[in-house]
Amino acid sequence: MKLYHLAIALLATATLAIAAPEVGKPAPAFTLTDSNGKSHSLSDFEGKFVVLEWVNFGCPFVKKFYDSGEMQKLQEKHTGSDVVWLSICSSAEGKQGFHTPEELQAKLERVGYNGSGYLLDSDGAVGKAYEARTTPEMFVIDPKGVLVYKGAIDDKPTPNAEDIADAKNYVDAAITEAKAGSPVTKAETKSYGCSVKY
Amino acid sequence: MNKSWLAPLLIACFFGGVARPLAAQVLDGKTLVEAELVANTEGIVPGQTFYVGLRLRMAPGWHTYWQYSGDAGIPTTIAWELPEGFGAGPIEWPMPTAKLEPGDIEVYGYSGEVLLLVAIQPPPDLVVGSEVTIRGNASWLVCEAICIPGNAELSITLPVISTAPKSQNAEFDFWQRRVPSADPPPFSIQWEQSAKGLSGRVLSDATLNSVRFFPLPVENQPVGHPSVTEEGGESIIRVDAVAPLRGVVAAEVGGEERAWLVVADADDAMAASSQGFPPLWQALLYGFLGGIILNLMPCVLPVISLKVFGFIRQAGADPRRIFLHGAAFSGGIFLWFLGLGAVIVALKASGSEVTWAFQFQNPAFILTIAAIVFVFALNLCGVFEMTLPGKAVGTMSDLSGQEGYSGSFFQGVFATLLATPCTGPFLGTALGFAFSQPSAVVMAMFGSIALGMASPYLLLSARSEWMKFLPKPGAWMEKLKQFMAFPLFATLLWLLSILGGQKGIDGILWASAFFLCLGLSVWIYGAFCTPVSSVRTRAIAIVLALLIAVGGGWFFIGGGFANAASPSASTNTKSGIQWESFSQARLDELLAAGTPVFVDFTADWCITCKFNERTAINVPAVRALINEMGIVPIKADWTNSNPEITATLKRFGRVGVPFYVIYPAGRADDPITLPEILTESMVLDALKKAR
Repeated sequence: MKLYHLAIALLATATLAIAAPEVGKPAPAFTLTDSNGKSHSLSDFEGKFVVLEWVNFGCPFVKKFYDSGEMQKLQEKHTGSDVVWLSICSSAEGKQGFHTPEELQAKLERVGYNGSGYLLDSDGAVGKAYEARTTPEMFVIDPKGVLVYKGAIDDKPTPNAEDIADAKNYVDAAITEAKAGSPVTKAETKSYGCSVKY
Repeated sequence: MNKSWLAPLLIACFFGGVARPLAAQVLDGKTLVEAELVANTEGIVPGQTFYVGLRLRMAPGWHTYWQYSGDAGIPTTIAWELPEGFGAGPIEWPMPTAKLEPGDIEVYGYSGEVLLLVAIQPPPDLVVGSEVTIRGNASWLVCEAICIPGNAELSITLPVISTAPKSQNAEFDFWQRRVPSADPPPFSIQWEQSAKGLSGRVLSDATLNSVRFFPLPVENQPVGHPSVTEEGGESIIRVDAVAPLRGVVAAEVGGEERAWLVVADADDAMAASSQGFPPLWQALLYGFLGGIILNLMPCVLPVISLKVFGFIRQAGADPRRIFLHGAAFSGGIFLWFLGLGAVIVALKASGSEVTWAFQFQNPAFILTIAAIVFVFALNLCGVFEMTLPGKAVGTMSDLSGQEGYSGSFFQGVFATLLATPCTGPFLGTALGFAFSQPSAVVMAMFGSIALGMASPYLLLSARSEWMKFLPKPGAWMEKLKQFMAFPLFATLLWLLSILGGQKGIDGILWASAFFLCLGLSVWIYGAFCTPVSSVRTRAIAIVLALLIAVGGGWFFIGGGFANAASPSASTNTKSGIQWESFSQARLDELLAAGTPVFVDFTADWCITCKFNERTAINVPAVRALINEMGIVPIKADWTNSNPEITATLKRFGRVGVPFYVIYPAGRADDPITLPEILTESMVLDALKKAR
């Protein structure tokens, strides 16, 4: 029995490793627990658009969007029957951005979090599978599980909230274009932000 | 005393946002970054470019970012507020260090301290004695385990003076040396593109230690983490990216950290710095052959059989002893040549290796070698003779009069010395080229020449019956000597062609005019300064020869040659882009007619501008597209302040160069602008949109 479990585990990790995040290809599968202790897998959301937002509340570039309320607005806009917004924190224990589920419940309430779920990835496995390097870093996955966007949240790589208004939001554009059935024009951009604290 | 005004004043100063030269970024009572604006001059000379630097002093463990920050972080920016008529160039970034963070994250930046340099161009109409304040708003991101954005409103005030003091600013010199140079580097890289990315073999004559590559991708160009490995004595740079990729190669050369801008393009290898020198084995072969041919010179050939007979006489009939005499004689020849090689190596050691390897980029060096080659060729033609000083001949004669092997040894040295009038020209030329080669190659070359020269003695002393195969001396030797002048003239032609690439047709003409004077003065020396002419004749001849040579040099070289522009700078080369000078009137006229226009805002003191022009604009594909589409190329040269250009830049919200604007045909109100870092494909794509 143990050998069987080991084999499955190895196979699972292997699939995780093989599926590198390439636009146009299926996005890497994952299973993570959220701040309420509930487990979610990517496959749970088949048939819906999935937005992945790499987050670290201490990073000035993440604060740019949360302190100004802009991230919460985006989350509200893009959650519903057909879109799911998941925030993933890959900060290792003891590093900036890491919070326990108890801390998170209070924090998410305080910032007015509007996403579908805040997932904890403290061993960094999912972050590394997606090659997430900065916070924020955004991924958009279509209802068939194919990655259609990866990269920056917008085109103004600064920590200043004043720059959000004039910036072109790549996530907005990707979801709008993908929903309309047209190819995403800016499908891959260089993300900006603090490094993920693995 | 009533001090009620003091507190409000102090508070006002604290909050008034008065720009200061120095500002500190503090977190929880600890200073993370101290930012200061400094200048490399005590005063501003109207119209003369100077440098301002943003000095960032970071707390230990904290770092700020480079021009390309890497996987995370953002580069430092400076927004300038310049007085009327002033312009600023882009930040000149010293070479960074790479930092690897957990999760395979690599960033490029600075720790400790860094000075970010910016060229400032003042207008020519400043009033001497007035003061000028330059303001800059610097923004950066400083990180340790966490990141904190910082910014500072800085200013620097300088007086306007009439002439700049010639003092060196050590701090600016240090950091300027660490800014990547846009000059051709002392290496070439052969790039290859594969599915795994780019790989480049670094080929160099100089010794490069600790080679590093820092990428400079254009917006959204994906690039992996570069790695450099040593394979078979060569450095191989690997980076997961698609050509073309700009970047910086840093290395320790000649004991100094230097860096160069490069473009990784798999299509064409970068121009080699060694101007096509033959590989080592070829050089050695030529040296050996050259040494053999030297034996045919009038001063050498008659001596060979005499010397060998001398060995036979001394050694009696014992073949072994005959050969040993021959070997000793050859030893003397080797001493002479290897000694010459050692002198060159010692001279080279006095300058850094990089300097010597660079010499073939330097027109003055090429000119000097060409002059020497020309004079030597004239010597072979018989225009003048070279004579040896009497004292040297006397000493050598005594030494070689000794019997035994040591006598033969010194005879070898003496014979080679005596052969100098004939062999001098070739040795002189070889000496000149030797300067640009590494020390090991120099010694090897001279060794092979020595071997070539010594080979008849070795062969004939081993088998004295072969002497019957020796050519008989005769008048033909003088003709051979004259004939040998022609390979030297061919070398001169080759050197002139290199000079032409550097200084254009004008450069070749001025240099040739100088050579004409040199030839005349050398003829005067040769014709009138002979051992049989009177002292008075000799004195007049020498004075006249010197006058003509120096006069020709001063007039043709100092005047004409020095001012000859390099071909790429001239606006009228047939194969180059036919740039028009910028003028607002002309631009308006073209736009009104609906013509597509490409404006290149550049300046001589802007390294990035020059690099962009060389690698992304003055390239065949762009030239062809410009011609085909009928785009009018305009160069807005801002080297000397130009109010029209300044006004145009301002309209686009810019204070400096580089800057590129493309006005599409018939859509002048919708111009396309290009960013600071250009690649050929970016320019091509943008130009295509101008239809």
